[in-house]
Amino acid sequence: MTMFSSMGVSGSALTLQRLRMDVAASNIANAETTRAELVDGQWQPYQRKMVVQESMPFSTYLNKAENQLNHGVIAKGIVNDETPASLVYDPLHPDSNEDGYVSKPNVEIAREMIDITSATRSYEANVSALQASKGMLMKALEIGR
Amino acid sequence: MFTTSSIGALEEAIRFSTAKQKAISSNLANVDTPNYKEQSVSFNRVLEQTEANASVFQSKQTDERHLHFPLPSGYPHASHNKQGQYNHNGNSVDVDKQMTEMAENQLYYNAVVDRMTSSFQSLETAIRGGR
Repeated sequence: MTMFSSMGVSGSALTLQRLRMDVAASNIANAETTRAELVDGQWQPYQRKMVVQESMPFSTYLNKAENQLNHGVIAKGIVNDETPASLVYDPLHPDSNEDGYVSKPNVEIAREMIDITSATRSYEANVSALQASKGMLMKALEIGR
Repeated sequence: MFTTSSIGALEEAIRFSTAKQKAISSNLANVDTPNYKEQSVSFNRVLEQTEANASVFQSKQTDERHLHFPLPSGYPHASHNKQGQYNHNGNSVDVDKQMTEMAENQLYYNAVVDRMTSSFQSLETAIRGGR
């Protein structure tokens, strides 16, 4: 039951929000990438990536009763968005098929921007929590002064 | 001799406030985690426990995993908010509420620490013989 563990919880959240930001940045950067990977001699468009997050109890079962508040957060993995690629008519594009259609990544800039905003706000909230924990610790150091 | 009742009570209050800060930290950390349920720490339970500890009555354990019902002294009980869904993904964390509670909890903590410091100062005054 130390104050330090609540700082650890906030810290894990900061890491996760930063990862979400990185993934969104990668999605935006690759919004037009038609050659992300080569499958059977065919270039496949970039697929949108998503972060799967999971609540992470810091505790083991032994001291579970005492530590049930220590829920940090971790990224369980990064998965592909399996939404099919959108087909855009562009016969002059080097990656267009015989009908003149190009497979474009399933990235939507608006959705990525919303993800980025959400990650930013969550990051800010967690920084505030971290500052509060720090302030309380500093105050505790004043006991008896 | 030094552990006057007020210092003991303030210690419980600090412990409660620390637990509450931890609950708020976890809630904010998991603000986007699907199916996470908001946790809260209640002071009523701490009071109940303190009273329960005063009049000790034994619980009978039939399994070693059972908890004794006067729980270990001073441990503020955390509870999950099971009803209520704030987000579409099964998450029940309300950021505004958490931030407000955090501000309140910080002030409370600072106030308790101030009170504690002043009770130590009173002790010090007594030790110095009022000089």
